[in-house]
Parts: sequence; structure tokens; C-alpha cells
Amino acid sequence: MSGSVLSPGTAALILFGLFFLFLFLRVPVAFALALACLPILLIEPRLSAMTLAQETFNAYNSFILLAVPFFLLTANLMNVGGITDRLMLLSRTMVGHWPGGLAQINVVLSIFFAGISGSSTADAASQSKIFIAAQRKEGYDDGFSVAITAVSAVLAVIIPPSILMIVWGGILTVSIGALFLAGIIPGLLIGFAQMGTVHVYAKIRGYPTYPRATWGELGKSLAISLPALTTPLIIVGGKVFGWFTATESACIAVLYAGALSILVYREMDLKGLHYALLDTGKLAGLALFCVGTASAFGWLLAYYEIPKTILAGVSTWGMGPTTTGFFIAFVFLVVGCFLDAIPAIIIVGTILDPLSKAVGMDPVHFAIVGIVSLAFGLVTPPYGLCLMISCSIAGIRMVDALKDTMIMLIPMLAVLALVIVWPDVSLFLPRLISPEFLR
Amino acid sequence: MTGPSPGTLSLWRKFTAAYAGLLSWLLVISIAILVVPVTLQIFSRYTELIPSYIWTEEMARFLFVWSIMLGAMIGVREGTHFEVDVWPRMALRPAAAVRLISRLGVLVIALVFVWAGIEFTRFAWNRISELAELPLWLIHMAWPLAGFTWLIFLGEQMLDDLRILFGRSAL
Repeated sequence: MSGSVLSPGTAALILFGLFFLFLFLRVPVAFALALACLPILLIEPRLSAMTLAQETFNAYNSFILLAVPFFLLTANLMNVGGITDRLMLLSRTMVGHWPGGLAQINVVLSIFFAGISGSSTADAASQSKIFIAAQRKEGYDDGFSVAITAVSAVLAVIIPPSILMIVWGGILTVSIGALFLAGIIPGLLIGFAQMGTVHVYAKIRGYPTYPRATWGELGKSLAISLPALTTPLIIVGGKVFGWFTATESACIAVLYAGALSILVYREMDLKGLHYALLDTGKLAGLALFCVGTASAFGWLLAYYEIPKTILAGVSTWGMGPTTTGFFIAFVFLVVGCFLDAIPAIIIVGTILDPLSKAVGMDPVHFAIVGIVSLAFGLVTPPYGLCLMISCSIAGIRMVDALKDTMIMLIPMLAVLALVIVWPDVSLFLPRLISPEFLR
Repeated sequence: MTGPSPGTLSLWRKFTAAYAGLLSWLLVISIAILVVPVTLQIFSRYTELIPSYIWTEEMARFLFVWSIMLGAMIGVREGTHFEVDVWPRMALRPAAAVRLISRLGVLVIALVFVWAGIEFTRFAWNRISELAELPLWLIHMAWPLAGFTWLIFLGEQMLDDLRILFGRSAL
């Protein structure tokens, strides 16, 4: 680029080199990203350290990202307000009598939770507290319990509503309504794959089951949970049919979860509300502060047109749509091991976007491949937030849950491959319900 | 190591604890209020009960900026900012050394936020926001404040690490 002191190559070397160096030195990710930007901001005469403040401010000053604290708050309200307990009872009457009953309940509850909350970290935190101790008591191995809780938590960002879809839609200008619809089938397939894995584990290791619930019990718990189960319809429907914006739909989710907790299930007290608000604020602050510095980092990459330079090499490989899909998934899986999903979308999503367009991938298909891959990154070390949270609540080291996590990832990766090879898995529902969202 | 006497030190720690408590309350309040402007926005669109306010969207965004910065401030005190841990489990002293290095990294950014943040705030001194016509420095202020806050919390933590490193127990 003309007018800059550094060449794109040197700038890329400084940015990525320093970023990984500081990560290695255990500087928190958000601060490592800012530190990597610093020398360049000081070297370039046109930029200054104030650019860092300005770019982080621009990132936060966004109505779309406001959905993040709302979805975290929804999840917290569900937990303190008794909604999660009702859904757990329903899951138990549905699948409790299957082999590995409690672990099956774990997965099914994650699917329900995913339909209301858009945050995997919130799911991992709340379900680890519920399930890990309970599974330990019933004789499940710790590694298995932690792994299944963590991998089922990733469903929250694949099944709509999803924070990642909102961020993706906002940054790469894809219809969020279409993304919501496109995530449903892949999400359910991954959930079923996990239930299959649990079944095999339970058969081999002889995990316990619960007595079968009667139809009456099932009906009763279904009736109790019905107000909670309509939440996904309100949120996703409201977005798809254009009644609310994504952020407004998240706000509706907060109001609805709050109303259910206070008026219907009546388990909310002031202490619970204070906890829900504080926990939301803390987690949102951590996750989004990182988005700010990642945006500054991404802004510098764009300033030097580094993505273009990287892609110039890749586009000469002559990959077709399917190979490109696998390549995109691979890049996101690797990046997801080191980076949180939202900064990864900001930095890597924008780099890969032109590549997917060049081979004619549908933007919605590209988004789902990216989001599912990044969701898997939530359980892959060294930086797998859901696995970290589950391990810390269980009080075991990440290494001890690693083997079971990797085994459970295999069927999930098979679903990802299916999503890549067969675009209709993700595109069928949006095409059916709102074809105007697709190209 | 000749440091401040234990009496003043504990007073300082009481101050930082109280300050962190204050930040937590501000965070709780800002998250709670955040729901209000967005709700108003939805209701004003679909009902005749309230007029359609144009400033709701902007107010929500500004409050949101503040709540992110407050959360980031508390995160440094609680050591909860996400990090990648590739180091094996270490003994007390090497662990303290590694922590000190990583905190130096945060310290540099804290100084940058103070320095660039003051400039950033001054830059916005005479400007007002487009819709609600709020003075913009009210929002930009969050940057230098975050820097100062991190310095306060980091000082406490780095002192503890130094004590461990040089064989004294942490307070």
C-alpha cells in the first residue's frame, strides 16, 4: 500500500509474530492482540496509539453486538428462574430410560437450551454445575462427564438463536434470519450424533438408566415446560419474519425469560437477579473487550491489505467449491484452537469471505461451515472455552478430559463434512421458509 | 524488600476492594438499564402507547460501551480475561515469574489506555452525539478510566507476585 512505512509482509510478520509470542507468554488474548498492534501504530506516521482507542470504540459502538449481553442474560435468568429445571425434567421423561440416561438428558437439555440461549459458554457453565457432580455420583467417569457436557454446550451457537450468527451476519452482511434457519438441521444432526455417541459409551461401560417415565408424566412435564419451549418460536420467528432486529429479538428473549421466572415459575428473587446481572456483565465484558482489540487487529490487517496477499497464494491452488469448503473448515478449526470465535470471525471470516465468493459458495452455506467449525473450536485445546469451563467446574485438568472429547468430536466432524459436501443440509430450511434471504 | 508498612498496605487493599465493589455495582446497574431503551424501541414501533424515540438506539449503544469497559476493568482484578495456557504446571516461584511477565504485557496496554485515552477524551471534548446530543467525552472517558483502574489492580497483583518470587508470602 502506498504511503505506509512498512510493507504488508513486514506488517503481517509483526502482527502475527507478536500476537503468538504474547499468547505464549500467557498475556490474555485481548491484551495480546492490542500489544501486537502497538509497534505498528507507533511506527506508521499516519497512525497513533489513539487509533487503538478509536477502533475499539467503533467496535463497541454497535447495536448488533448488544445482542451478546442479552443472550447471556437470558441464559442466566433461565438458570436462576427455574426454567432450566423444568426443561431438565422434560428431558428426563423423554430420554431418561435410554442407556446412559443422565448423559442423554445432558445432551437433550443442551438442545432445548440452545433454542433459547445463544451462548455456549453460558450453557457450559450452567450445565457443568448441574450435571458433572450428578454424573459422578451415578458412576460415570469424570473425563466422559466433562467431555459430554462441553461438547453438547457447543450446540447453543449452532442451533438458533446464536451470538455467532448475529456477529457473522453483522460483519459479513448476511441475513441473520437465514442463518438462524440454516443452523437448525445441522445443529439437530450434531445433537443426534452426540446422543449416538453416548449410547455407545453407555453400552460399553454399562452406565445406568432411569425407569421409563409414563406417558402421563411426559405429558405433565411437557405442559409445564410449554411456555419455555415457545421461546425459540418467538425469537427465531420474530427475526425471520422481520418483526424485530436481531438485537431486539435478544431483548425479547430477556423479557420473556424474566417474565416466566417472575410470573409463571416464580423462583426469581433479588439475590438471583443480582447474580444474573453481574455474571452477565462480567462475561460480556470479557468476551466483548476482546472483540474490540481483535477489531483493531483486523483493521490493521485490512490497512495493509494482508488478507488479499494471503489469498493471492491460495486462489492459485484451483480448488473447487467442496475442496474450498473443507479448506475453510480446516482453517476455522485450527484458528478456533487458539482464538475465541468472535474475534476469529472478525479476523479470519473477512479474510476467507472473498475466497468463498470466488468459488460460488452460497454466503449462508459459507457462514454455517464457518460457525460449526468455530463452535467445535470451543472444545479444542489449548483455547477451548467450553472445555475450560467444564474442567474448572469439575476440578480436573483439561488433559484428563481430552481423550473422550476427541472421541466425541469424530461423529460431530462427520456431520460437519456432510454440511460441507451437501449444502442443502443447511440451505433447505431457509429456501423453504424465506427464499428471499438467499441469493 | 522495603515496602510500605503493613498498615498503609491494608488500607490500600481495602480501597481497591471497595473500588472493585463499586465497579461491580455500576456494571449490574448498567446491564439492568440496557434492557430499557431496546424495549422502548420495540414497544414504540408496535404500539401507540409511547412515541417513537430516536435516541433509544444511541443511548443503548453508549451504555453498552460503558458496560463492556466496566466488565474489562473487573476482569483484570479477578484475573478472568481469557488466556491460552500452554505451560505445564509449575512450582510457586516460576509460576509467579510467568504471571509477572504476562502482567507486564497488561501493564503496557494499561499505560497506553491512560495516555492515548486522555488524548481520545480531549479529542471529543467539544463534540456531541448525533441523536441524543450527549457530550461524547462522557463515553470516551471510559478508556483512560479503564487504564487507571488496571494500573491500580495490577499494582496490587504484581506486588503479590514479587513477594512470592522473592520468598515472602503474599498478603
